[in-house]
Amino acid sequence: MNNSARTKAYGRSAMIALTLAVLTIIEFYVAISLDSAIFLMLIALFKAVIVVQAYMHVSRLWSPEGEH
Amino acid sequence: MTLWSLGLVRGVVGQIVGFAAGMALVIASRLLFGFDPVWNQEPALVGGIIIGSIGFLIGVGALTDWFKWMRGIETPLHHGPPHGRPAWTRYFGVDYNHKVIGIQYGVTGIILLGIGGMFAVIFRTELAASGFQFLNPSNYNTYLSMHGWAALAAILLGIGGMANYLVPLMIGAEDMAFPRLNAFAFWINVPGIITLLMSLNYGWDGGWTVYPPLSVLGPVGYQFTFWAVFLIGLSSILGSLNLIVTILRMRPPGMSLFRMPIFVWAVFATSLIQLTATQFIGQAFLMLSFERLLGMGFFDPDKGGAPILFQHLFWFYSHPAVYIFVLPGLGIISEILPVFSRKPLFGYRWIALSSIAIALVGFLVWGHHMFTSGYGEYLRVPFMISTLLVAVPTGVKFFSWLGTMWGGKLSFPTPMLFVLGAISVFLIGGLSGPILATTATDLFLHDTYFVVGHFHATIFGGFVFPFFAAIYFWYPKITGRMYDETLGKIHFWLMTPAFWTMSLGQMSVGVMGMRRRIADYDPALGVEFGHVLVTIAGFTIAFSVLLMIYNLLHSAETGRVAGNNPWRSRSPEWQIPSPAPEHSYASPITVVGEPYDYGIPNSTYVHMAPLAAADD
Amino acid sequence: MTTVTAALEGYTQQLRNNRMGLWLFFISEAFLFGGLLVTRFYLWGNTRPELDQTIGLIVTGVLLLSSFSMNMAETAIEHGDRRTFLGGLAVTAVLGLVFLIGVMVFEWGLFPAIYEGHLKPGDNVYGAVVFAMTGMHALHVISGIIFIAIVWNLGRKGGFSPERHWGVESCAIYWHYVDVVWIFFYPALYLIGTVAH
Ligand SMILES: [Cu+2]
Repeated sequence: MNNSARTKAYGRSAMIALTLAVLTIIEFYVAISLDSAIFLMLIALFKAVIVVQAYMHVSRLWSPEGEH
Repeated sequence: MTLWSLGLVRGVVGQIVGFAAGMALVIASRLLFGFDPVWNQEPALVGGIIIGSIGFLIGVGALTDWFKWMRGIETPLHHGPPHGRPAWTRYFGVDYNHKVIGIQYGVTGIILLGIGGMFAVIFRTELAASGFQFLNPSNYNTYLSMHGWAALAAILLGIGGMANYLVPLMIGAEDMAFPRLNAFAFWINVPGIITLLMSLNYGWDGGWTVYPPLSVLGPVGYQFTFWAVFLIGLSSILGSLNLIVTILRMRPPGMSLFRMPIFVWAVFATSLIQLTATQFIGQAFLMLSFERLLGMGFFDPDKGGAPILFQHLFWFYSHPAVYIFVLPGLGIISEILPVFSRKPLFGYRWIALSSIAIALVGFLVWGHHMFTSGYGEYLRVPFMISTLLVAVPTGVKFFSWLGTMWGGKLSFPTPMLFVLGAISVFLIGGLSGPILATTATDLFLHDTYFVVGHFHATIFGGFVFPFFAAIYFWYPKITGRMYDETLGKIHFWLMTPAFWTMSLGQMSVGVMGMRRRIADYDPALGVEFGHVLVTIAGFTIAFSVLLMIYNLLHSAETGRVAGNNPWRSRSPEWQIPSPAPEHSYASPITVVGEPYDYGIPNSTYVHMAPLAAADD
Repeated sequence: MTTVTAALEGYTQQLRNNRMGLWLFFISEAFLFGGLLVTRFYLWGNTRPELDQTIGLIVTGVLLLSSFSMNMAETAIEHGDRRTFLGGLAVTAVLGLVFLIGVMVFEWGLFPAIYEGHLKPGDNVYGAVVFAMTGMHALHVISGIIFIAIVWNLGRKGGFSPERHWGVESCAIYWHYVDVVWIFFYPALYLIGTVAH
């Protein structure tokens, strides 16, 4: 049981990385084709929110139990 | 006990060794990367400054526990004075008790304030007559610039002293949230101050604002200033981080945000600014340092850079910095006033929120220092309006102070006198503010002594007077003895009229055309008499402060024993013995009422758990 | 920050303080990096220097990958999987080094014998800002790698448990923070604006 939870957590981690990779590629093509600073910064913001939420688990700051 | 057991001594030795090592490191890497010539004074000195500061921190022992953690060794917090050494030695080394650190901050601050004041007295004397008497222009400029940063650093230290000593006591916490970080944040100031004083050896002349291109072209003393400010700024950031966590997470049961002592609110607002804005001055000064070292053209129009960018970065910190300097002092005024008026603080919530409002609005006004800089003219009106807006929350404070005193049973011991002096002086600073905030008048007054007068009134009213009030007020809690009331009153009655004279004198010579930061002036301006008055006032203030220092030192031994609560204050720190014991509170406290309900029968603020019956 | 005898409640309290403290530090640092971005937009406007797009894409990808391995390491210690934990940390440190080499050797041209860079800090405002931004970021990457090395060494000696691993958590979120900074720096340096000649 412990093992399957672990595998699931690793899979989630990989999915997030994949999402970020896809966004980076989109970013690169947006830069080539659209050349819009605002749009590029929005994508960057979106990526940052994903990292802050999923990898840096910012919500632990206000989770009451304090552990995980 | 040997001298070597004092952390301060080890730190200074560490800094000297580190300085040499840093210079050697720069020379070695220049050799390695094939720079020509291998010896270049400026980069070598900067290497020395950086490694020297690290050397100090290692020597003093501020990093020892963290090095142990890196090797997996647990380090329990040591309480009480060091083993096998006299108790006073703990003040000269790393100690984790917030009260010790508060005293360390405060005393270092007073010493540095004295050094900064000494520079002022020196160049002030030169200004008493036109022509050159005993300084040449370049000495004058160095002393003037040093006065600026020494005094500002002293103010930051003084604030750190009040905040570190009082905040954990006032919220009934055992200590700060991160005691080791607290000690580190204090000790990093000391190599910073040593570095700043070393700049005297090389000189620098830009005033505290160090605008490029002058600061890029000037003597190497600038590098010492940049890095000293960087170190002191780092202390601000780490100290404020610690205070915010302490305030948000370590309050006792019952102390909701709106039941905190008002000084804690002020420190919270101050810390929000310190935590964030300080990064900008650190960055701006690093950019100057590297523009000098590597020719990076941030502020060099020849390379596509922009000198005005520096002004933006500088003032984005340095305007809010003024609120860093004054907000804690205004908090002290609001804290002490109800005690000696025996009446509730008028409009507690408004005062608490006005501190936050000042802090937030303070981020939007930096451009009022740049009306004459040549930045976009469309920026003038927005910055003027946002600046004038600051008068609203500040006015709320004045209104509350008057409302608190109105109909109160006033008494006037020295701390109360200094609070009233602070209000009067801050009023001078406040009323001269809108004149400078208004673009039309500022275009004429910019860079004159009027600005000097306004700034000093703001800082004396917002920091120096309240700081002295705080020293007299909490002196019995710190030492267990009373200061000499007569000497305290003489201090006040010398300093306050002298300061009024100085402030109004500075403003009037400014209006008559005296430029700031100029070593000489044309006697035809008719400002000589004003300068004589200001100089005499300056000496009087300096003398009165010496009187206070004598009073504090002398009374610590001979003063009458003060007792737990000589001022009949409701704040929790006055319900424990004086001097405050190693562990401030024998048991956790509970807050059961409003903090400032003076004169209201049967009202209680804190419940000192087991002693409750005796205390109420 | 714990003593062996400290009660679990004390640990939880301290953990929550630590988290808040670290995040406040991030907020503070955001103003530093924000200031650098302001500098970039103030001085460059809608232009940018000609940087090597291949290097940019590679180092960005490497840093992203390192965030993934770092998250693997943290997840592993939460589930008591020490092998993956140590492996993840090691991979992260190596990827961090690859990033540094990409920036310092190739973008900066620090060793002209290996690779001749195309910008110097003293050239003009483009060189100055590129070096300021990548330099400040590299400083944080270096400190992150040192942090990882310390945590790895402690973990190797049996430190940290699924219940108590603030050292790992702080190291991980610090590393991710450095990645977040690069998420903004990458478009600001490599993508936004037209190339100035
Ligand atoms: Cu201002």
